[in-house]
Amino acid sequence: MLTKAFSKEKWKYLLYTLSHPVDGFYWIRHSEKGSLPIAFILVLLFSASFSANRLLAGFVVNDIDPRTVDSLYEFIGVLAFYILLCVSNWSVTCLTGGEGRMKDILTAVGYGTMPITIGLVLSTVVSRFVADEEQAFYSIILGVCVAWGIIMIIIGIMQIHNFSAGKTLVTLILTFAAMLIIVFILLLLSNLIGKVYNFFRSIYTEIIFRT
Amino acid sequence: MRKLNRLARPLAVLVAVLIFANTETVHVKADDVPYDTYNYDYREYIHYTPAAYVPESVRYGRDLFYEGASIGDFKTPQDMCKSPTGEVLVADTGNDRVVVLDAKMKKVLRILTTFDNNGKQDKLGKPYGVCVSEKGNVYIADSKNKRVLVFDPDYNLKQIVSEPRSRSLDAGFVFTPYKVAVDYADRIYVIAQNMFEGIMVFETDGQFTGFFGTISVDISLWEKFWRRIATKEERANQKLFIPTEFTGIDVDPEGFIYATNITTDGIQGVRRLNPSGQDVIKKGENGNLGGDLQISGTGSYYGPSQFTDVVYRKNGIYSCLDRKRGRIFTYDHEGNLLYIFGGLGTQVGTFQMPVAIEEFGNSLSVLDATLGTIITFNVTEYGNCINEAVGLRFDGDETQAVQIWQRVLELDENNELANTGIGKAYLSAGEYKKAMKYLELGMNRDYYSIAYKRYRNEVLKQNASWFLSGVLVLIVAAVVYKNRRKERREKINAD
Repeated sequence: MLTKAFSKEKWKYLLYTLSHPVDGFYWIRHSEKGSLPIAFILVLLFSASFSANRLLAGFVVNDIDPRTVDSLYEFIGVLAFYILLCVSNWSVTCLTGGEGRMKDILTAVGYGTMPITIGLVLSTVVSRFVADEEQAFYSIILGVCVAWGIIMIIIGIMQIHNFSAGKTLVTLILTFAAMLIIVFILLLLSNLIGKVYNFFRSIYTEIIFRT
Repeated sequence: MRKLNRLARPLAVLVAVLIFANTETVHVKADDVPYDTYNYDYREYIHYTPAAYVPESVRYGRDLFYEGASIGDFKTPQDMCKSPTGEVLVADTGNDRVVVLDAKMKKVLRILTTFDNNGKQDKLGKPYGVCVSEKGNVYIADSKNKRVLVFDPDYNLKQIVSEPRSRSLDAGFVFTPYKVAVDYADRIYVIAQNMFEGIMVFETDGQFTGFFGTISVDISLWEKFWRRIATKEERANQKLFIPTEFTGIDVDPEGFIYATNITTDGIQGVRRLNPSGQDVIKKGENGNLGGDLQISGTGSYYGPSQFTDVVYRKNGIYSCLDRKRGRIFTYDHEGNLLYIFGGLGTQVGTFQMPVAIEEFGNSLSVLDATLGTIITFNVTEYGNCINEAVGLRFDGDETQAVQIWQRVLELDENNELANTGIGKAYLSAGEYKKAMKYLELGMNRDYYSIAYKRYRNEVLKQNASWFLSGVLVLIVAAVVYKNRRKERREKINAD
C-alpha cells in the first residue's frame, strides 16, 4: 500500500502537476494519480520550511525574534489550518455538487503547498547572500512562489470538483465562512465540555471533603 | 570496603573545604544602589546593566550654613541651575528665596530674598525657576509677583520682564512664569502657567515676541468623525484637545532649546527646538523619546513617563528626569537610550518628587521638592565609558572609541551600542567578518549590510579564479553533453 503511494510514478506525477496544474489535478481526481501520503509529507515540509525561514533567513531581511519561533507549535498550527481548510471545503462542495472526495481535497491542497515550500527554501538560501539593496530579490522570490502556490490550490480545487472558475471562487468564499463557523462551534464545544468537566470535578471534591 | 572509606573521608573533607573556600573567595558584589540601572534592547526587552551612576551625597538645607547660622530646610524647591563660574543656584520656592551655593554645594555664598528695586526694597515671591546666562546674568522667574527678574553677576537688579503685551495673548491673561532659560543672545525663554501655545520668548530688552515650539494637537480621523456626528451639548462634554504644556527647559551652547513636555502616549517627551521653534530632535531606531517603553505597571506605576526637566550635558548627550517613576533617562544625539537609573522611595539615593536635574562635571544632581534635598550621583566606570565613547562618536572619530567600547562589553556583554561601535570600527579598519559579527550583535542592519557587501566582494575577488574556472567547466560539460545527446539521437534515428 505505502510502496504504491510512494512509487516513482507518483513522485513524477507531482512534478507534472507542478508544471501542468489543470491537467494534473484533473487526473488526480479521475484516475488515482495522486498520493495522500505524499501530500501529507509536503504539508510537513511546508511547515518545516516556514519555521526554517523564520529562524534561518539572513540578518538583513529577518526581523524575527528567534525566541518566538517554535517549530513544533507552528507545525501543529499549519496542520490544524490544513485540516480545517479541507474539511470546510469538503462540507461546502458536498452541498454545491463538487465531485471531489475528501481524499482529493487533501491531496490537492497538499500538492499546492509545494511551490510555497520551494519559495521559502530558495528565499531563505538567497537571503543569506543579499545586502540591503538586494532585499527585493528575496521578496520577489517569496512573492512569486506564494502566488504560484495559491493559484495551484485554487486550480486544484477547481479541477477536482470539476467547477467553473466563478463557482470555485464562490465556494472558496463559502469555505472561509464554513471555517469560521467550525472554529466557533469548536470553541463553544470546548467551553461546554470544560463546564461539564468542572461540574463533575466539583461533585468529586464535594464527596471527597464530606467523607 | 574499609580502605575505600578511609580514602573517601579525607576526600569528602577536601571537596567540602574546596567548595566552602570557593564560596568565600568568589564574592559577587552587587551594586550597592537602591535602584535598578537598565536599558531597553532592540526588541524592547528590559536589559539590566551595571550601575551607571551611584548616589554620592544627599544635601539638606539644614546642613548648610550662612554667616554661622543654618539656612534651614528647603521648602518645596522647584529649580536648580549652575552658573558659568560654577556656583549653584537653588530656587527655594516655599521660603521665597534663592540660595547660591559654591560648586561643591557645601558653602552658602548668598541668600537672595530682598533686592534694591530703583531705591525701593523689593522681595521675591515664590521664585519658581532660576537660570544663569553665559555672561553671568541671573534670571529668576518670580512667579507670585508675575515677573521675571534679571540680575547682573553681582546680584544688582538689571531689568524686570513683566506683563507681556501682545495681540496673541488673551485679554485676561495672567503672566505666571514657572521656568526660565536664556540663550547666548540673551533671549529669554519662559514656561508660564496655563500657557498651552508654547514657550514664551522675550527679546533682550524684555519685549515679548511670540510663542515658540508649539506642540500641535493630533486629532485622528476617527475622533474627527465622532465630533462631526456629536451634538453641541455632547461636544461640550467631551474632553478638550489641548496641547500639552512644557515642563522643563535647558539651552545647549549652540542656542538650541531642549524642552520636556508631558505626553499621554509616551512617544516623545523631549524636544530640541531650533531658533525658529521647530523640533529638530533625532529619534532612535524605535522612534521613541518618551522614557519607559514598558509602562504597564499598576497604580501610580502605570502610564508613560512624565519628564519634568532636562539637562543638556555635552557631546549631544542629554538626560531627562521622569517624575512618574523617578528615573533618569539619558539619550545621545541620535536618540539612542544610553542608560536608565533612579527610582522613587525612601532610601538614600531615591526620590519622592524630583523636579530638577543638573550636571556638575562628572556627577548629576537632582532636586527633590518634597524632601527638600539635592541628591548627587557620581558616575561609575560603566557610565563614564559610555559617556566617553558616545562623545568620541559625536566628534566623528568613533574608531578611537574601540577600547572604551571593549571595556563596556566586559562590564555589560550585551550592550548593543558597544557592539555597534566596535563593529563600525572593524568596518572602517577593513575587517569585515569581525565587523559583521559585532554589528549583528548590535542589531544594526544598515552597517551590517555595508560590511556584508564588502566581505562578499572580498571573497569573490579572492576566489575569482575558482569561480571562473568552475563556470568554464560547467559550460564545457554542457556542450559535451549536448553533443553526445545529439549523436545518440542521430544514431537512434539512423537505426
